[in-house]
Amino acid sequence: MTTRRGFLAGLLAAGSAPAIGWADAGSPSYLAAAREADGAFALFGLDTGGNLTFRVPMPARGHAGAGHPARPLAVAFARRPGAFALVIDCADGLVRQRLTPPAGQSFNGHGSFSADGTRLYTVEQRDEDSAGVIGLWAMERELTRIGEVPSRGIGPHDLRLMPDGGLVVANGGIATGADGREKTNLGEMQPNLTYLDAEGRVQDQVILDPDLAQCSIRHLAVAPDGQVGFAMQWEGAPGTPVPLLGLHLRGEAPVLADPPLAEALAMWGYAGSIALSGDGRSYSISSPRGGRVQRFGRNGAFLGSVARADVCGLAAHPGGCLATDGLGGLLLLEGDRVRPLGSAPVAWDNHIVAL
Amino acid sequence: MRTALILAAGLFAAPAAAGVPEALDQHILPGFDRFVQETGALARTAEEDCTAGTVAPAYHAAFDTWMPLAEVKIGPSDTGALSVLFWPDDRGFTPKALNGLIADADPVVTQPEDYAEVSIAARGLMALDMLLFDPAYDSADPYTCQLVTAVAVDLARQAETLQAAWADEFAAALRSAGAAENATFLSPQEAMRALYTQVLSGLEFTADQRLGRPLGTFERPRPRRAEAWRSERSLRNVLLAADAAQSLAHALAETDLPLTDAAMVSVREAAAKVNDPGFQDIDDPQARLQVEVLAQEVRSLRTAIANEVGAPLGIAPGFNSSDGD
Repeated sequence: MTTRRGFLAGLLAAGSAPAIGWADAGSPSYLAAAREADGAFALFGLDTGGNLTFRVPMPARGHAGAGHPARPLAVAFARRPGAFALVIDCADGLVRQRLTPPAGQSFNGHGSFSADGTRLYTVEQRDEDSAGVIGLWAMERELTRIGEVPSRGIGPHDLRLMPDGGLVVANGGIATGADGREKTNLGEMQPNLTYLDAEGRVQDQVILDPDLAQCSIRHLAVAPDGQVGFAMQWEGAPGTPVPLLGLHLRGEAPVLADPPLAEALAMWGYAGSIALSGDGRSYSISSPRGGRVQRFGRNGAFLGSVARADVCGLAAHPGGCLATDGLGGLLLLEGDRVRPLGSAPVAWDNHIVAL
Repeated sequence: MRTALILAAGLFAAPAAAGVPEALDQHILPGFDRFVQETGALARTAEEDCTAGTVAPAYHAAFDTWMPLAEVKIGPSDTGALSVLFWPDDRGFTPKALNGLIADADPVVTQPEDYAEVSIAARGLMALDMLLFDPAYDSADPYTCQLVTAVAVDLARQAETLQAAWADEFAAALRSAGAAENATFLSPQEAMRALYTQVLSGLEFTADQRLGRPLGTFERPRPRRAEAWRSERSLRNVLLAADAAQSLAHALAETDLPLTDAAMVSVREAAAKVNDPGFQDIDDPQARLQVEVLAQEVRSLRTAIANEVGAPLGIAPGFNSSDGD
């Protein structure tokens, strides 16, 4: 990722005007939203050492974000149901643009730029029936909405770029009521994993066995070979040991991770984030409810776990996996070893976005 | 911009938060000592005479010493507690696992160290609840007898392992919270918060699961979903869990807790009106009402502790754990 960014920054620098790049924002490697001690919300840039590189105030609670591959621009998405997303210039801390979804639709917390930075994809749903939509935006001087495509499911949440330039979407399957968070269809959920090409045409779709219909597919991590790790949240009877991590490579059947029973129950049926490790050899999933991060091999084998209260944000780190929690902790997980990188008087929100 | 924003590791480095040593020294560590003692006695009893009538009193005594610790599910207990008390078990993992062992006359029962490898559903107190008190199992049967002994011996070993892990390592991590080398608790407040949240989530578990599961709905009560109903411990466990919460709250707090103590009196009064210690009569509306009242009093105890202990410390629910997304 650093390579791609450096390459693009180089291209821009070779152009006419002197380009402003991520170096002007302190060269962060990550973005993370947080609530500060006084109750205000902000978006932070973080480097791999856990140092803060920038802080930009947010008007409300954020969720996840998307960093532009070359320019120091971050799109910060509001917490679901999102009425806005802010395009923030991380070099000067100014809000460059405020994006709003079309009337009758809401942002769902996640989105991504295309690899070349010319397009932004936003995950949305129709307020009326929770039908999923992927918003398409062209990035020129600023972002302009150029269209939308169906996400091919109800209540989509996360979206990631595939190595071939296509998209993978986690259609969580949960319909929500008028307030945008009340779940209204838990008895008839049909989550799926959908692959779209860059123009939004369906390429593939994965649906799990009916007994896992209440396992909402919510968050994604994509390995360089195209294997998709998907993290799930169980909406069925509490105390049921269910897989919370699935692995899928197109053309093959999905593999469901099967940790030991005590480990399965310790996650409380809830995985809040997922990340591939820095060496690409394992996936970690976090449960803020269970206060736990579990690690699995690329084949789905359980490797180990770490306990940490209110842990949620995860991202690949050269040393393993970076984790954040609601107590302000920034931790490097090196296998089952925890190395605190710092502690800030903030509550880190659900996700860390790797740049 | 960057220089002003460097995060300080060990920002809150300070001595252990008041209350943490008290919780360890007055409640948790002596609790594990008692648990080791009583599970040891249980194992010795079963080894001498494995029949249900003989083992039952030792089982109850051991269970009584677990309840003060049952809801402290952190550190060594975060998964360790499950193999001591595997519940809830709506899918019947415990009978399935026990029946599998019995059907195969699995020789795993002959080596206590091997028994630690069986499904956690076949280990601990709930396995004994079933083997000793369910008419489907006959402790006079030679294999079942061996199984009872194996579960009891394994439980005593679990107790020793947990006790040692708490006393040797985890207690030190709690006491040294915020120290530079402490990777578990980055500040004294984190240690305090960790123990305090166990008190609240434990009472929530008691209200929603220990009482809520058998209550089911008015149309469909589920008495067989009560915890340890076979050994008629359901009500006793609720009371012991509430006692434990009150005791830990006092250890953690630096002030008197009049609201908490009053709420505990109400819990006891409500419990005294429940007739069936195993909640098996709750399809009767009057009996059901008493259990509902008890659940309400347990929730009130939780609120009292949140107000008297949590609020002064400024501890709020988890930012992420309470969000859900």
